[in-house]
Parts: sequence; structure tokens; C-alpha cells
Amino acid sequence: MAATSVTPYVILGLLALGPRHGYDLKHSFDRRLPLAKPVPFGQVYATLDRLARDGLVVTAATERAGGPDRTSYRLTEAGRRRLEEWLDAVEPPVPYVAGALLAKVMVALFVAGPERAATYLTAQRAAHVARLRELTAVKTAPGAALPAVIAADFAINHLDADLRWLDATLARVAATRQEARP
Amino acid sequence: MRPAALLRLALAGNRTDTVRILLTAFAAALATLSMLAAATVYAIRPRGDAALREAAGLAPTKEGVPGVEPAPDGYAYQYTHNLLVEPGLRPGVALGLLLLCIPVLALAGQSARLGAPARDRRLAQIRLAGATPRQAVAVAVAETGLAALAGTAAGMAAYAAGRVLLHRPDASGRLPLPTDTLPPLWTLLAVGAGLPLLAALSAALLLRRVAFTPFGVARRHRTRPPRPWPGLLILAGIAAFAAVQPVVRAYAWSGRPMPGWVLPVLLGGGGALATIGVVLGTAWISQAAGRVLHRVARSPAALLAARRLMADPWAGGRVFAAMLAAVVVGAGAAGVRAWFTAEFDAREEVSRANARAAGWEYVPGDTSFYTSSLDLVDAAVTVALVIAGLGLLVYLVEGLVSRRRAYAALVATGVPRRTLARSVGWQMLAPAVPAIVLALVVGTAIMRGLVREVRAGSWMQFCTVDDESRCGEGSPFLRTFEIDVVRPVEVPYAELAQVGAVALAAVAVTVGVGLLFLRASTDVTELRTE
Amino acid sequence: MTPILQGRGLVKSYGPTRALRGVTLTVAEGEILAVTGPSGCGKSTLLHCLAGILRPDAGEVVYRDHRIDTWSQARRSQLRRGEFGILFQYGQLVAELTAAENVALPLMLNGTRRREARTAAMSWLERLDVADVAARRPGEISGGQQQRVALARALVTEPRVLFADEPTGSLDSLAGEQVLGHLVRLARAQQTTVVLVTHDATVAGYADREIVLRDGEVDPTGLGLARGRTVVAR
Repeated sequence: MAATSVTPYVILGLLALGPRHGYDLKHSFDRRLPLAKPVPFGQVYATLDRLARDGLVVTAATERAGGPDRTSYRLTEAGRRRLEEWLDAVEPPVPYVAGALLAKVMVALFVAGPERAATYLTAQRAAHVARLRELTAVKTAPGAALPAVIAADFAINHLDADLRWLDATLARVAATRQEARP
Repeated sequence: MRPAALLRLALAGNRTDTVRILLTAFAAALATLSMLAAATVYAIRPRGDAALREAAGLAPTKEGVPGVEPAPDGYAYQYTHNLLVEPGLRPGVALGLLLLCIPVLALAGQSARLGAPARDRRLAQIRLAGATPRQAVAVAVAETGLAALAGTAAGMAAYAAGRVLLHRPDASGRLPLPTDTLPPLWTLLAVGAGLPLLAALSAALLLRRVAFTPFGVARRHRTRPPRPWPGLLILAGIAAFAAVQPVVRAYAWSGRPMPGWVLPVLLGGGGALATIGVVLGTAWISQAAGRVLHRVARSPAALLAARRLMADPWAGGRVFAAMLAAVVVGAGAAGVRAWFTAEFDAREEVSRANARAAGWEYVPGDTSFYTSSLDLVDAAVTVALVIAGLGLLVYLVEGLVSRRRAYAALVATGVPRRTLARSVGWQMLAPAVPAIVLALVVGTAIMRGLVREVRAGSWMQFCTVDDESRCGEGSPFLRTFEIDVVRPVEVPYAELAQVGAVALAAVAVTVGVGLLFLRASTDVTELRTE
Repeated sequence: MTPILQGRGLVKSYGPTRALRGVTLTVAEGEILAVTGPSGCGKSTLLHCLAGILRPDAGEVVYRDHRIDTWSQARRSQLRRGEFGILFQYGQLVAELTAAENVALPLMLNGTRRREARTAAMSWLERLDVADVAARRPGEISGGQQQRVALARALVTEPRVLFADEPTGSLDSLAGEQVLGHLVRLARAQQTTVVLVTHDATVAGYADREIVLRDGEVDPTGLGLARGRTVVAR
């Protein structure tokens, strides 16, 4: 999944840390999600507009200190609820879900901490495993046609890669939790 | 490579490597003892002075032989046992002691293979770390050489101790063993330095087929199936022995004296050929035994053993070699004993008949010399069998240890250890029994080819009256008595059975002891891969 | 579903290493259970304890109401010959025997005559599509064929429970797929319970249920059903 579908949620997550200007949001976004493509300013503002239209964010204050428009935004209650829903939800296990998984773990970590991230990772892992089982059944069904087998195998291989990353990340996050405990 | 580094690498290893080093040292010590004993006997300087001769129960001076040292006739009266006294027998004794080296060498060879795969892997790793092939071989050779050096030193120490401890002169000053003689210095040096060098050289030779590449060890295996050609060697050996009597007769008939080398060549060469034939033929016997066993096997233990024999028949040949050589010698000795018995009985019969005819008192002869000599040969054969049994044990244990992963997996899937133990038993005994029987037959056959019956006879004239002057030519009081006795040499079934039984017992005991290691080597921890 | 095999509080150490720290699990009859987890977490040790290869230091192993952890070596060995079938990653076939002889071995150990054992072995080799290598030795056939022969040997006594420890670990994915496909098909046909140890998620995908081990303990969050809310993101 391209970054477009997770961009709103990342922005909601960033605003959960406190009100921001659009300019700051773009830079925080890039900093918090390293190795991803830098998000264009235009996309940030367009997303902010959409979020505002849906009532998830509101403009907080407008400063005009001689220069470009510096509108700061903040999260609404509805926005906070939507963010929580997204953090709790499990992504549908399909081959191109990796980007979304990464974004959600990152946001969970900087919004809520390792505990929350671990909870999400565990749930996501279970969903992946269930889907893997289904796909294996499709692949091994008697009389399965070659295209179906190939497609199932493709999905299985990608989900396997995700699973390995999920397991490793769980282990890392668990280690961080151990360190955090006194 | 610096010597210190070589030493460190050579001695690095685990428990199996330690056992291998100890066994090599032990074999070297035994070989040293045997060689020094042989050299000592060979170096005996005979003393025939009057006091000794009297102590030996002989007249103080033999006609024409001055009582000086060294006695020109070669008789060494300073010893009590005839084997050391008689100059004709001493070389034989020395040779026999030297021949005991053969089973010891077999033991050494078998010990060298103990844990060899792990050692070779270690050397391959050393190569991976940058050593040249020559350096890798040098490490292995150094290990063997040093072990042999330690063993030789131990053997020499034991020899020195034995000379002191076994020096027991009796009342008249005669000794049971040649503890007063030392071999010449060059012999001592040759053994002391030569044995470790020989060990190192043979290690280098054995490794020439092994390529220590950094990726692992490549050993070129022989995969030819064994053929029954050694049977021809056996037949040649038997034929050589059978040719002795006709050849002797032919020389006698032609009037020309028989050259001195004819008999040793026929006897020694024939014996060697027959023995080598038996040893080489063991591989064919192993494979044939495997095939027969495979056809008739009903239990899984026998099936496993049959397949293993068919898969590697050459291993059996190497391992049983020393034992079978000893059995051939033992059977030959039994044949010699039967020959001597027949010869003696024939001569006694002649003596008795003469005594009866002439009215003399019959005095039975003394065979103790011959029987005790043959007893010594039997003892040597037993010692050789024990040493060969040790070699067999080493082979068995090495096989168990190198297969322990496979065995552990089998036990895990439910194969009882009993079955594995029985399969090892089958694997050892199935070729051992026919091979031992063959060795017995060959040993007997060469003696039967040499002599099957003995003849004794005498022609004499005696006086029937006390006054000898009345027994002139044509006198009625002069009687002639002629007698010719022919006796067959019996086949010494009892002794042959004894030799065979001892050999079989050695195999059985070895298998029993080796199987004690089975439990330890099939531990489930061998299965761990994590 | 009735539980056919249970482990309760299993503890096992190898010297200073504690491989199992109190594992409890239940295996239902006829199910295919995957035991997964990172390497070194004790999966193989757990399998060895459940199959009666090892005695645990503490805890119980119950097979059909029998405490098999208290049984003698000989009885457990007999169990592994008959009602349990065991499949390892490699190295379990006798190198000197042919494939058919390897498969016939468990039957012969249980007293079947050689000829009948051979016939049964051949029929199993056919079921696993390796009848053409019956007369060859393990060293002469491919890894996938070896594992199918090993599977035939594990199934020839028609066991109630099949234990498989990384059965496809040394195979490429297609060969592994073949082996697993046969395994699952034959197990379902004979209603054999399967305990499958693996670190590979694609292998675990063949199972009905998964238990995750971590550092010698069962990780409860790794169960087949997810905990907590599972709202799928839009």
C-alpha cells in the first residue's frame, strides 16, 4: 500500500503529540519515518484539509509573522478516537501491506510506547498466521489449478517475509520493555 | 611453522584424539620391547666354561671343545632354558620375537584411524586459516611421531626395568632370561630413534591419499569389489610347502648338495604367501558372508549387518589381518607338534623294539625340550591374538563413535539398542568364523603338504653273549636286527579347535567390550542441532 | 475433540542449559499441531519429551491416559516402533540399506516376516510416489526422495501420532511442499495426529493450530486466534 493511505494516520499521530504547523508536520513526518520517501508539502496540506473537513483536526491559531502562512493545527476528540481505532486495528494480510505495518508500529511507538506496539504486533502476527493457513489450504486443495497455486504461493512468500519482520520486531520491542521496567 | 606452534597444533584435540595418541604410544612401547628382546637374544654370547656345564648336568668338558668363552660350538650354558642355549634355536627365537611386531603394527595402524575424520576436519580448518597443505600434513605427522617417541621411551624404560627386575640367577649362577646381555649400542640407537621416525614416515605415507583442502577433506576410497585372487596365493603357499620333500629327494638323488637358500625360501616364502593370501582373502570372505547373510537374514539385526558387510568389505580384511596371521601360525605350530609327536613315537617304537630284541633296558626319551619350545610358540600366538583383539576393539569403537548420529536417530525412531548390538555382533562374527576356519585349514594344509608320515628305523648287530670276542663275523652269537617303522602324522584336531576357539573368543570378547560403548554413543543428545 | 497427548509442566535441562521451563499443552486427536518459535527455544526437546525419546526432568507426558514419562526405556522404544511415528530433518535412514529395506525395518522389528514387510514397504513407497527408488540406497537419491522414504518409514506401522521435527528443513521449497503435501494428505486419511516442529511459518501454515515456544515456555499470545479487538483498517 502506498504511503497515501497511511499519511492521514501518521499526521493524526504527530498531532497527538501536540499542535503543529504544516511545515513542522512535514519535517516531523520525514524524521519519524526514516527510509520512506519524503512526503511532499502539497500532500501534507491536502491531507490536513481533508482531515479538517472530516472534523478530525481543527486549525488552532494563525500567526502571521511576516512571511508564509503559518497555520497550526490540533487534534479533535474525534481525531483522537480515529487514531486509537487505527492503532488497535489489524491490517488485512495481503502481499503489499508491509509499508502500512511499518507505519503503524512507528506511530504506536512514538505515540504510546513499546507496550502498545507489542500489543499491535501480536495481533497482527496472529492475523498473518491465520491468512497463511487459509492460503496453504488453497494451495494444497486437491485439483487446484496452477494459476491459483502460483498466486497463493506469491502471497504466502510475502506474508512469510512480513512474519519474520514481525517476530524480530516483537523481540526488539520486548527487549525495550524489559529495559524500561525498573 | 615454528616448532612450538607445530607442537601446540599437534596436541590440540578432544578425548578421542587423546585416546589415539595413547594407543599409538602403547603400540610403540610394545614394538620397542619386542625389538629389544629380539636384539638381546640375538646378542647372546655363549659361555661354555666348566662350572656352567656341570650345572647344566653335562660333563665338564666336551670332547675337543675347550671350556672358554665364547664357546666355539655356540652353546650358551649360562641360561637354563634350552631355547636360549642351543645356537640353532636362538635365531628362531629372535625372529619369533621380532615377528610379534606384526600384530603390534596392526594395532598401531588401527589406532591411527581412531577419530581420523574429526582430526582431518580440524586440519582442514587449519588450512582455512591459512596453512599450506604441507603444514597441515606436518601437524598430523608430528602428532604420530611424538606419540611414538613417548612410547619408545616408555618401552626402553620398561626394558631397563625388566633387566633389573627379572635378573634372577639360580644357585649355580644360571639365568632364566638373558638379563645379562645388552644389544650393541647401534641397535639401541636404531630402535630408539628409528621407531618414532618410522611411525612419522608411515603417518606421512598414509596421508598421501588425503587432500586437505580448506573446504573439507577428500579421501579417495577404493570402490573395487574384492575378487578371490588371493586364493591363488594360498594355493601357491601350500604348493611351496608340498614341494619341499620332492625337492630334497631330487637333490639327494642327483648327488648335488642342496643350496642353503632352498629350504628357507620354500618354507618362509610359502608361509608368507599363504598367510598373505588368507589376509587378502578376508575381504572377499566379508563380502561373500554379507551376501549369504542378506539372503538368509530374517531378523533386522542380521539384515543391517549383511548390508554393512557388503558396503565395505575391505575394512574387515584390514582388521582381521593380524588375527588371521596368528591363527595360521598357530595351526602350523599344531601341525609341527603333531609331526614331532609322530616322529618321537616312531623313534620310541624303534628304541623299544631294539631294547626288546637285544635284551637291554628301555629308557624313554625326553621330549620336554620340544614340547616346551612349542608351548612357547603357542604362548606367542596367544599374545598375538590378544594384541590383534585390541586392534579389533579400536576398530569397533571407532565405527560406533563415527556413526553415533545415525545410531542415535535410529534409537529415537524406535530401533532397540539390542538390535543394533546384535547387528554389530553379526557383522563381526559372520566373516570372522569362515576366515578363522580358512586360516586353520591353510595352516594345517601347509604342514600336511610338508609331511604326512614319518619313518624311523634302525639296523643293528648285537652279541647274545657277554663275551664279545665270540661275536666275530659269521658267529652264531651275532644277531642282526632291523626295523622300519612308518607312522602317519595325525591331524591335530584338538589343538586346531583350541586355536580357533581362542581366536573366536578374542573376537567375541572384543565385541562384548566394544558394545559397552553403544549406550553412551547412542545418547539422544547426539541429535541436537540447535 | 478428545485429547490424545498431553504435556503438563514439562521441564528439561541439558547441563546448565534449561531447554524447557514448564511447558503445558494438549494435542487433540486427529489434529495437526505446529510448534514454532525461534531456534534454541526448546521445540525439538519438547518433541523428544512428547514422543518418549527423552524423559523430562519434571512434569508429565500423558498419552491416552498413560503416563509414558514413567515408562521404561524398552516400553517407550516399543511405543516409538508402533503407535508413534517419527520423522527428522535428515540422517535417519540407514545408509547401507536400500529404501525398501529402510521402510520395512520397523515392521521387521515388530516381528513381521521379511517378505510381508517388504510388500507393505513397497505399497507405502508407491503411495509416496517413490516406488522407483525402492532398490537404491539413501546416498543415491535426492533429499526430497529421502524425506519421502523416511516419511514412509514413519507411517508404515500406521501410527496414531506422527512427530515431525523440521521435516523440510534441508529441502528446497518445492521438494518441501511435496513432502508436506503427502504428510498432510496421508495423516488426514488415517486420522493420524501430527505434531510438527518448525521455525518456518510457511510450514506451520499446513497445521490446524500453532503453539509458539519462546525460551522454553509457551508464548500464549501466539495462539491461532488473535487476542483483543481485530478491527481491520480501512
